[in-house]
Amino acid sequence: MTAQPTGIVVVSTSRASRGLWHDALSRLSRNKPALVGLFFIAVFVVGAILAPWITHFDPTMGNLADSKQGPNFVHWMGTDLNGRDEFTRVLYGARVSLTVGVVAVSFGLLGGAFVGALAGGAGGIVDSILMRIVDVLLAVPGILLAIGIVAWLGHGEIQIMLAVGISYAPMFARLLRSSLLALRESDYVMAARSMGASPVRILVRHMLPNALTPLIVQATLFAATAIIDVAGLGFLGLGPGDPRTAEWGEMLTKASDYLQSAPYLIFFPGVAIVVSAIGFNLLGDGLREALDPRLKR
Amino acid sequence: MNLLSVRDLLVRFRTHDGSVFAVNGVSFDVDEGETLGLVGESGCGKSVTNLAVMRLLPAPAGKIEGGQVFFQGQDLLGLAESEMRMLRGKELAMIFQDPMTSLNPVLTVEEQMVETIRAHRRVSKKEAKARTIELLGMVGIPQPEKRLRNFPHQFSGGMRQRVMIAMALALEPKLLIADEPTTALDVTIQAQVLELLSRLAAEHGTAVILITHDLGVVAGMTKRINVMYAGFVVETAVTGDLFARPRHPYTVGLLHSMPRLDDEEGQPLIPIEGVPPDLRFAPTGCPFAPRCAWRLDRCWQEMPALSPLEPNATMVTTGPNATHAVACWNQPTAQEVEAAQPLRTGFVPAQPPTGTVL
Repeated sequence: MTAQPTGIVVVSTSRASRGLWHDALSRLSRNKPALVGLFFIAVFVVGAILAPWITHFDPTMGNLADSKQGPNFVHWMGTDLNGRDEFTRVLYGARVSLTVGVVAVSFGLLGGAFVGALAGGAGGIVDSILMRIVDVLLAVPGILLAIGIVAWLGHGEIQIMLAVGISYAPMFARLLRSSLLALRESDYVMAARSMGASPVRILVRHMLPNALTPLIVQATLFAATAIIDVAGLGFLGLGPGDPRTAEWGEMLTKASDYLQSAPYLIFFPGVAIVVSAIGFNLLGDGLREALDPRLKR
Repeated sequence: MNLLSVRDLLVRFRTHDGSVFAVNGVSFDVDEGETLGLVGESGCGKSVTNLAVMRLLPAPAGKIEGGQVFFQGQDLLGLAESEMRMLRGKELAMIFQDPMTSLNPVLTVEEQMVETIRAHRRVSKKEAKARTIELLGMVGIPQPEKRLRNFPHQFSGGMRQRVMIAMALALEPKLLIADEPTTALDVTIQAQVLELLSRLAAEHGTAVILITHDLGVVAGMTKRINVMYAGFVVETAVTGDLFARPRHPYTVGLLHSMPRLDDEEGQPLIPIEGVPPDLRFAPTGCPFAPRCAWRLDRCWQEMPALSPLEPNATMVTTGPNATHAVACWNQPTAQEVEAAQPLRTGFVPAQPPTGTVL
């Protein structure tokens, strides 16, 4: 007779952790709302990338004879005043809106994180001066600051990205600095100092990795806001330089003139903005939970 | 020459409510390989004294306002921060109270220990790793080659404190400051960690300053004890002598407020009445006077110096023959120590001078 397997599975108590990020990723993959958010974003990203294959219409050129058609089998989302296919424009608009949103947040994140790390790491007079500048920037409403910067730098996608990025940078700077300040008093930073670690090493190796979590979460949440802000700039007529460019905010502006005769022209870009913003928000919330080790099961 | 000589150390904290007089002229010595206990209740300046020695007081609030700290004859307070950094970890190391938060949660144990070793020694990563495995084995962590790659949260509290001890001893420092190393641990784990600490310190000839409020811990671990109160050392003696003949009313109070196994059944614990003084006021007189049953008029005016129990004895500050010294104008007698109250007929504790705010 052969030995029967006992059926006892030895579960290792110290499950080999493959790292903080790996653990966070596996927690994220079990978070349903976050996956839904990721799905929304993925739909738009795939749609934006594959736009030329999904639709054969031109986003910038239309047939005036097709002007302001309601949704039908040829034009799923109808056509605008110039007879351009609305579905095509929403798809191509995702390219501009998502890129500008994500790049703008990246600008803000990098700039803000640099200033925040400098202030929180150096402390003292450097901290005071940098934070007063940040205070001044924070005192101006973000969208107003962005409008001012676009008005100053001129129209264009790069200008919009910079403008929105700069308007977010102070928030990132504050966030990172406050995390660093809290960490400076933490036991393990004290322990690292007591072992003779240099200030730069403490900042880069001990403090920054522990302070990044709120920054990453905030960046995701800001990506949602950025899409709305970029759309808002477009709505105010401060969108991309080429007026033909498909951009969700600009599409809304144009459509607002025909609110009564062609309400679907407001509906589809509006839905696109809302759904992508919700997508980033859900992902951001999921990331916050996944990256917080205290919420570990 | 003593390994560490602290002389008249003054530490103050600047706060919005004014200065906090944290350490008010503390002097003590530690000899090579000696174990000194620093006892006192929370806020009496034990930790601050040692953070000042390490020059790790929280900046900019904490300031060393006076005194000297000689380590191997070198005044640490006169060193540049970069010179001080070279000593930290290598010559003076520290173990903190809470092992749950003293390790960086995002770095593996290997990364943290290798980093510490390589900050002071020119060794390859491989050599540092080999040394790390050796150290982890030494502090009793099973399968060190495997546990090396674990993150702090995968260790229990006791195991984490063992890692901290391994890290502190990695560079074989001359002096190890252990700030309540077992307070956050279970009682059974406490004993193991203390045993490990004293065994390793003895093996490496490391001097230890053990900060604690647990008299049981110092009794077993240390050769000599300094009792601190409100930023002053009020009594110092060889451990056995301190427990046998406490001569400062505060020490007497501490010993009576603690249950002992050899107490007779039904014997009450005698707490120390009152609260520690508010350190925001500059000390006038003896800080223990408001809570003291033996106080004299003089106690309200003048802080007595730490002086030998036997008059005219020469002060020996370190070693097994260290002088038993007390800072008290009116030392309790042996019988009074036993009874925890003054037994002199007609003795009434002196009233505070008029105008004193308690």
